[in-house]
This record gives sequence, C-alpha cells and structure tokens, in this order.
Amino acid sequence: MNPGGRTLTSGIAASRPDGASPSAAALLRLADFSIDYLGSDGEVVSALRNVELEIREGEVLGVLGESGSGKSSLSNAILRLLPPNGRITSGRIEYRGKDLLALSQSELRQVRGAGIALISQEPALALNPVLTIGRQIIDVLRAHRRVSKEQAMEQTRAMLREIGFPDPDRISRAYPHQLSGGQRQRAAIAQSLICEPSLLVADEPLSSLDTITQAEILELLQKLKGELNLSMMFITHNAGVLSSLAERVAVIENGQMRACGTLDELSSLDDAYVRGLIFPEKDLGRVLVQPQEPNWSVTEEPFLRLRNVSKHFIQRHIFSRRKFAVQALQAIDFEIREGSTIAVIGRSGSGKTTLARCIAGFETPDSGEVSFAAEVANQSRGVVQLIFQDAGSALNPRFTAADAIAEPLVIARQASPDQRSQRVRQFMEEVGLDPSWASRIVIEFSGGQRQRIAIARALAASPRLLILDESLSGLDLPIQAQILGLLMDLQSRHGLTYLHITHDLNFLSRFADEVIVMDDGRIVERNTPAVLFQSTHPATRSLIEASERLHAPGLEVAQ
Amino acid sequence: MIRYMLRRFGHALLLLVGVSLLLFILMEAAPGDFFSEARLSGEISPQTLHALRAQYGLDQPLPVRYLKWVSSAMHGDFGYSVAYNMPASTLLLPRARNTLLLTVPCLLISWLLAVPLGVLAASRRGGWIDRVYSGGTSALLGLHDLLLALLALLFALRTGAFPAGGMASLDVTGGLWVHWKDIGWHMVLPAAVLIVGSLAPILRHVRSTMLDVLDSPYMRAAEGHGINRFTLLFRHALPAAANPLISLFGLSTALLIGGSLLVEVVMSWPGLGPMVLEAILARDMFLVLGAVLLSTLFLIVGNLLADLLLYAFDPRIRTEA
Amino acid sequence: MRQRGKFMFVVSALVAVHLLVLFAGFVAPYDYATQDRDHAYVHPTRVHLMDCAGRFHLRPFVYVTSLQEGALSDYREDCSQPAPIRFFTRGDEYLLAGLIPSQLHLFGVASPARLYLLGTDEFGRDQFSRIVYGGEVSLFAGLLAALLALVIGVLAGSIAGASGGWVDETIMRVSELFMAVPWFYLLLALRAVLPLKMDPVSAFILVVGVIGVLNWGQPARLVRGVVLSGREQNFVQAARGFGAGRLYILKRHLLPMTFSLALTQMAVLVPRFILAEVLLSFLGLGIGEPFPSWGNMINEAQQYHVLVSYWWMILPALVPVPVFLGYHGLADALREKLQSQVRFRGDK
Repeated sequence: MNPGGRTLTSGIAASRPDGASPSAAALLRLADFSIDYLGSDGEVVSALRNVELEIREGEVLGVLGESGSGKSSLSNAILRLLPPNGRITSGRIEYRGKDLLALSQSELRQVRGAGIALISQEPALALNPVLTIGRQIIDVLRAHRRVSKEQAMEQTRAMLREIGFPDPDRISRAYPHQLSGGQRQRAAIAQSLICEPSLLVADEPLSSLDTITQAEILELLQKLKGELNLSMMFITHNAGVLSSLAERVAVIENGQMRACGTLDELSSLDDAYVRGLIFPEKDLGRVLVQPQEPNWSVTEEPFLRLRNVSKHFIQRHIFSRRKFAVQALQAIDFEIREGSTIAVIGRSGSGKTTLARCIAGFETPDSGEVSFAAEVANQSRGVVQLIFQDAGSALNPRFTAADAIAEPLVIARQASPDQRSQRVRQFMEEVGLDPSWASRIVIEFSGGQRQRIAIARALAASPRLLILDESLSGLDLPIQAQILGLLMDLQSRHGLTYLHITHDLNFLSRFADEVIVMDDGRIVERNTPAVLFQSTHPATRSLIEASERLHAPGLEVAQ
Repeated sequence: MIRYMLRRFGHALLLLVGVSLLLFILMEAAPGDFFSEARLSGEISPQTLHALRAQYGLDQPLPVRYLKWVSSAMHGDFGYSVAYNMPASTLLLPRARNTLLLTVPCLLISWLLAVPLGVLAASRRGGWIDRVYSGGTSALLGLHDLLLALLALLFALRTGAFPAGGMASLDVTGGLWVHWKDIGWHMVLPAAVLIVGSLAPILRHVRSTMLDVLDSPYMRAAEGHGINRFTLLFRHALPAAANPLISLFGLSTALLIGGSLLVEVVMSWPGLGPMVLEAILARDMFLVLGAVLLSTLFLIVGNLLADLLLYAFDPRIRTEA
Repeated sequence: MRQRGKFMFVVSALVAVHLLVLFAGFVAPYDYATQDRDHAYVHPTRVHLMDCAGRFHLRPFVYVTSLQEGALSDYREDCSQPAPIRFFTRGDEYLLAGLIPSQLHLFGVASPARLYLLGTDEFGRDQFSRIVYGGEVSLFAGLLAALLALVIGVLAGSIAGASGGWVDETIMRVSELFMAVPWFYLLLALRAVLPLKMDPVSAFILVVGVIGVLNWGQPARLVRGVVLSGREQNFVQAARGFGAGRLYILKRHLLPMTFSLALTQMAVLVPRFILAEVLLSFLGLGIGEPFPSWGNMINEAQQYHVLVSYWWMILPALVPVPVFLGYHGLADALREKLQSQVRFRGDK
C-alpha cells in the first residue's frame, strides 16, 4: 500500500502504445561496475561499488538517489567521460552486447551521440556560448552521418520543430545566451536526439528549471519516448517525476545499488530508506486540514502587516545598456497572524523574493508601509531573519560552523565567549548537527547541513519571524522533508512565525496554514491549501497542474 | 556596431587626454620649467629662449600652458627640444616610426608563435609536448630582457653574423630593396631579444586559457556527442577561447612596448627608448613628455584594436539584444 | 604531496638568499669599494684541492696571482705561495646591521693572496662581494617597492570597492590612467622630474618610492574586484541583517578575502620590481657608484671590449635569474592554493 495516498504508477501503462512488455534483449547492461576518484589531498574516494544495472529496449529506467550517492558518476562513466581524476576500477558496460570499456577511441566516438546520448543537469553549461544553436546541432549530425549542408539544416529544423520550437529558423540562428533556461534545455535535448540514439541518459535534466518549465520538459520527454520508442536512463532524486516516466527504478545509496524494481514493488519493500526516497513526505506529519493554532499565547493584533506596498527596479540590459523599469511589487496588502506558517508561491518573476527582502528590510518599498505589531516593533533588530536559497553563499566559506552560528551574538555584543560556545552547542543540537563539528569549516558540510547551520544562525538572532526564501529548492526532496520537519519542530519551541517563499508546491499541504499566490507583482489569491487546490485562477491553476504532472509530494488533501 | 566602436574610440580618446594631463602635472614637479636647462647651457640665444617661452606660455598658469600644448600638439607640434635645438616633433616622429617598425612585427610574430604552440600544448595536456612547453615557459620567465640583450650583443660581437647595434649600416648604397634588406638584417637581433623576452607570459596565458575552455562542461558535452577531436578543437574550443585570447593581445602589446625601451637602448636601435633616456639626462622635458605620450598612444591603439577584434569574434558582445 | 615539498623548497631557498644578502658584510670577503689596481679584470680565482706537486689537501686553497710583465691581463698563479681559505676570518671592516662595527667574515684568505671568487672589475673590486652587496639593494628594493604598491593598492581597492558610487568611479579612472602608460616609460617619466645625482641612501628610497607608487593600479583593481564580489555575497547581507556596521564587515569578512590575493600579488610583483630597480640602475637612473646594484654592475659589462674579453662581468645579469624563477614558482604555488581553497568539499 502507498502511505499518504499518493499513487505513483498511474501514468506509465497509458504511454505505451501497444501495452506489450518490453523486449527481453538488454540494450545496456552494467555488471560489477565500480568507479574511484582521486581527491586533491591524495585520498581515494569510492563513488560507485559493484553496480549492476540493466535497461531493455524501449524501457525507461529511473535511477533514484540522493546527492553524493554517485549517480552522476554513472552517467559520465557510461560514455567514458569521467574527469581526469576519475577511474573505472572494475566491471563491464555492455551496449548491445559490446563492452564499451574495450572499444577504441574511434569506435567509442561512433557510439557517443548516435547510440547513447547524454543530457546533463545544467543546459546552459552544455551549450557552447559562442556558437549558434543550429551550428551545434549540425556539428553533432555531421559527426555521424554523411549529409550535405542543406540536408543537415533541414533535419535540424525538423528536430527543433519536433522539440516544440514554433520558429526553428530563429532558434537555430540564435546563441545560447539569447534563450531562456527552458529553451536551452530543449535545445540541448534536440542536440542529443538529432542522430536518433537508442538510449538517452538524462542526469537530473529538470533540477535547474522552475516548476512550470519542468512540467513542460517532462511532457516533452514522455512524448519523445512514445514517438521514437526511446530508451532512457533517468537519474534524479525526485521519485515523483519517475512515476510518470519510468517502468523500473533502481535505488542507489552511497555508491551501491540498494533495490531495483517497479515503483509499486519498491514502495511495498520493508526498507525505510527506499520508502523515504519515494515518499519523502511520510515523516512530515499529517495533512493539515485547517490552519494550526500556535501553542503559545499570541496577540489579536496582526503580527505583520503590509499596506499598499509597491517597488520597482531599474535594470540595464547587459550589452545594450538601455534601462527599463521592472515593477516588482504592485500595491501589496496583507496581514499575517503570529505563529502561522504562510507559503508564498508564484512563478519566477512574480515578485516573491522582492516581497521577502522588503519585509526583511533589505529593500525599501517605494510606497506603502511594512509594519509589525506594537510589542514586536519595539524589539531591537533581529525580529525578522531571512534564510537564503543558497546556503553556500549565505555562509562565509572560511568561517567555522561555530563562527557562523555565533555571529549574531558577536555583532550584538551579547554573551561572553563561554556563553556563546554553549549556545552554539545548543543550537547545533536543536537543528540536528553534531556539536563536535562546531570547529569544522563551513565548506566541509553538505548542502543540507549548511542550511541547518544557516537556520541555527538565524535562531541565534532570536527572531520572531523567519522568512525562508526558496531555502529548500536546491536540496534533494528527502532532505527538504527533513529540514521542513525540523522547522516545524522549532516553531513551537521558539515561538516562530514562518513565511515560506517557494516556486514549487512540494509538501504544501503538510506545512502551510495558508497559501498566498503571487503573479506579476500582485497577490492574486490567498487560501488554505485545501481550498486552493480547487482554485480556478489561471496563475494558480498553472502552478498546480505543473506540480501534479511532476507528482510533487504533499499535494494531497485529506479526505 | 558603429555605436560600440564610437564608445570604445571615445574612451580611448579620453584616456589619452587624461594621461597627457597626468604627465603634464607630473612635469610640474620638476624644478624650474621646461627651459631652465637651456638657460644654463647657453647654447640657445636668450632672445630665442624668450620667444619660445612666450610661444609655449611658460610663464602662464598650468591650465593655460596645458591647453596651449594640447592645441599645438594637435597641429603636430610637440614643443621644442632644448638639447637638440629643434622642434620636438622633428626628433620624435622618426623615432616613433622606428619603434613601431621594431615592435609591430614582433607583436605579430610572438602571437603567431604563441597561439599555435599554446593550443597544441593544451590539446595534448600532460604529454611530452606539454611538459616541455610548461618547463620551457617557466625557465623563460626567469630570463629577463637585459640578460638576453647582452647575450645577443655577445653573440653579435663574437660571430659577426649580425650587427651589434644600430638600424642601418652607413655604407649601404643601392635601391630601396637593398636598404630594406639592410634594415632587416639589423632588426634580427633586437627583434629576437624582444620576442624571447616577452614570450613567456604570453605562452602561459594561451595555454591556461585553452585549458580552461577544454575543461568547460560544454566541451565535455560536445565530446559526449561524438564530435571528432579536430572539429572539437578548432570549431568549438578555439572560438570559445577567442575572447580571453584577444585580451591577450592587449597584454602582449603592453609587454612589447614596455620591453622595447630597454632593448632599443642596449642594442642601439634608434627608437623612442634611447630618446627618452637622453632627454632625461639632458633635462629636456618636452622631449620626455612627447616620447612617453607617443608610447602611450601606441598602447592605447593596440587595446583599441583588441576591442575591435573582440567585437568581431565574440557573438555575446555583438548581439546587443 | 610532491607539490608541498616543492613549495617548501622554493620558500626556503628564497628566504636563504634574502638572509644571505642581508648579512652582506659578513658573507662578502671584501668591501664593495675596496680597489685593487694590481688586480684589475682578474678572472675568477681558482680554488684548488690539489697543489702543483700533486698533493691533496683537505682545506681548499688558492695561489697568489700576479700580473705578468708587460701583459695587460695575463695573470699567473705562483705555485710557491699557497694560501688556505679560512672561515670566520678577519677582513675589511663593515657595519653589522648597519650599526655594529665588525671585522668577522664568513671566509677569506690572508694577504697577499686574493680570493676573487667571481673575478674583479676595472678597478680591481671583488665582483663576488659586490654582487652580494648589490643583491641587498636589488632584492630589498623590489621587496619594499612591492610592499608599498600593495599597501596603496589594497587601500585604494578596498575603499573603491566598499564605497561604490563616484568614489569608486574616480579611483578606477585614475588607476586606468596609470595603467595606460607602458610601465617602464611611466617609471622614467617620474624619474625624469627628480634630481639626477643622489647619495645611495636617498637614491634607494627614491627608487623604491617611484616603483611602488606608480604600480598601485593592478593590485587596486584586483582587490576592488574581490571586495565588490564580497559585498554581494549573501553572508555579508546576512551580517548586515544582524546589525553589523561597515567596519565589522570590512574587518571580519572583506579584508580576509583579500589576504590570499595580496600574497599572490606579492609573489608576482616582487620579481617585476627587482627587475625595475636593476633596469633603472643600469640606465644610470637608480643607485649609482660606488655602491653596487646588480643594475649598475651590468652597465660595466655593456662595453664591447668587456663583454667579449671578460666573461665573468656578465654574471650580475645571470644572478637574478634563479631569484625570478623562485618567485614565479612561488606565485604559481600560491595561485593553485588559492583556487583549491574555494571549492566546497562537503558535496560530491
């Protein structure tokens, strides 16, 4: 049974045209496959150990794992594209029966792009910035087929149209920097498919895109799979995406295969780790039906009030230096009560981040006012703390964890050094970090751990309102769930009010009392998640539909 | 395109004006004025001196003097040399021409040497070519212009294969071609010293730029698509490296013009270098000013050319979308 | 690990060389000005372990040399007058650290023998001693000038980066002016307006000042870049959110970021400035006679007859080469360390 009520295997049977089972012959087989890396300090790190995988003709295999599990090494290694310090220490890669590791350079070149093609995480980085899109696609084509220039251009245009560009001529003449993120990913996919490979290896192809674009690209991949009978290895940390695309899923933990099978089989396994990956929301508590009441006494007066707040920016085009005004916020009006958890959602450019920065005091509104309840306003600085999206840049990389967490205390000149280290230890324990790591430097922590340090630091400033500006976006889903759980724990203990700014709807029904939808600098809707999911407003609907297509966890509403 | 060029050109002009002002103010620090040395040497008659004083406004305040100098410079008059008792431009322009004659070919040659070698070494990273290249450039970095110039002189004196100095032999008769051959023969050693002396930083820059490009994710992605090595290197990597390589052009221009001073002095090549030195020793300020400004002009023009090349080769700058 | 060993080797070698020239008076067997007209243009004294009769001696020694009758520069050794090299011996008086008079030298030979390890010049002055003394000048002129340029550059760069607005614009425009002139021409231009003849001490200060002051542009730009990107970092904004003032942010966040840059810049600038001093002195615009600088010593070698006949006179031009190589190696190692530090190690 699937806990949480989310069905994950609904979409797959429908996408296969004849419903027949995949052919028995293996297209790609990894046997006893291991990879090592040589670190800059001389240490040998094992990235993959004795991995066994199989992908059959016309099948999509999902590879599910967290960051650091070694899944990216997998995609690079298949085409022997490991960086200079990486080595394949054992195993075979069999593609249509031939061992890829034994091929000569020229034979390998023939397989690359024409047999097996790779799509990487950051589409912007996979495209050469000084060549046109068309040129880059044609070069791949002409590397494998003997075609004339005209034929090459014709085929390129056809491919671009297939990918979803209505004006292929304009796109093939454009340079990567002239396209949006979603367009670049489509162009990268076109480049990979131009020679009609049998197998597409996609390494986290959606992670750098916003929700709506993610859904579009996923739809594109589904379409291509159906029309071209494309086999795929889809590497990701997001199980929801796999549910509508992959027949089977392999779970990787710490470089080793942990389980393999259909999502149904995996979710009924008695394995907490696997279930945690597939249903990251499982530990987040029950679905909220209505706004929760805080368990400390709160005033009737609204905690935070925004009245008619507007803000615009002057931006310059990078090259033409022409200035234009961007209206980031238009006449924003709202209030929130103390102790509540409010989510602010909207697509990129809707003004959410500007709103956060105005409330936090990093930006001053052009007009209108941001005010707090009287007794709060009298408090000194630190009432509002902002947790940034990228914990990497939110912490000084040269600081130790203790330095970072104690900084608010140091700046405010509170507490003696002894008291400070005691409180650092306290905070570290609260956020789930080992206090003995206090003297380690920030760069030695993982992404999720760094975000915990940032939270601990925010707590040290004794805030009343915590604004999380897309703070979870860069993290794996399971880690996102863990951090959310931590935040919910901290709420009652410290009497916190939360404002979550996010562009995706992950876990929404589990943690948000109310949701505010923003579009184009305005608030268009505000409701509990339950009511919101029935909304008919176009901005809200597009977000919800995209998230449903991506099977975002936490979208369900309690019956 | 026109807008971009006008912007760069305007910037260059401003720079030139700014430098001229800076140098003019610098000259203020010298005791006396531009003609005090002349008074002491007594070679020029007091009446001439008085006339010159008035012409260049030497008894006027600084801004006036500067403006007078600027307006006469625009007519090609760079002041008056008291050491040689003639207008400065008569002295400066031939010298400037000789400096250009030496540095421009050296610029082209060092670029033509550095880029292919650097690309080759980077494409075969870790191989013996690369190791020789890295070792060679590291060693070359230690060899300074002065040492090289002296060794070249020694070579010339010992073997007689090339002249030990000067730009042209005195006893050469014949047509234009013979004269040019003679000048070329004189140019070999100074050019060799100049090129070898400034090659090392350029070589390193090319190699590291190419390595950066070759390590980029888009190059790895292109390799993953099965594009062959030749196409990868020349049709993908090199265009991507164009931008940082062109900034190299500015770097090499600066190195060569800076190094040319010394090489000209030691190897007696009659360029701006020896002129500026003599002028300093003779306290001939107009000459110093003119020579330094001319060398600055060359550097600025070199950078302007680099800007032009950048526009031509980097689509990101071209497409002002 | 090999990198670490190479790095330590380079650093220790450079430190050793600098210490050596700092104690020039002790290390050099003769004073830099002592003339010996009987031994003008002597080739380097041959140090023997085996004497004319074929006997082996443990202590190295030299023979007294003297000019042959009627010859201009034909020096012969006199087998009957061996002179052992003594260590920690007495010689010309000098001032230790410029204060304490001392006569102790690291090594030397007793008169009438001469230990001219690298030959002599036109006036019979020991080239080895002069190179050591000259090294003191050239090496430390470069070091001090680099320090000066860096101090001005860090100040200007951090002020520009931290202030922004017209302050930033002005400082950057001015630095651009300084960097628009080919560096050696600019150096000479400033030199031109200063008095030509000066005593060695003033000349030294002058040279350091001129080189240091004119070269602040590049360090300033680099520091400004670091400060600017530092200001944009979220952790700086977070600190401001905690109530931090500008001084705290500068001290605790921005300035430490410039340290590794400053160090690398030092390693890059010092050899360049050592060369600048050498070139200035070579052209007669730096340290002048009788105090030796590698530059003014090379000047002597420029004369054709010297260059051809007396090969040891070119040694002052060769001596800077290993120093430059050492500094460049140091700069490379520092640059690599700088790059590797910034990568996050927690993620894979």
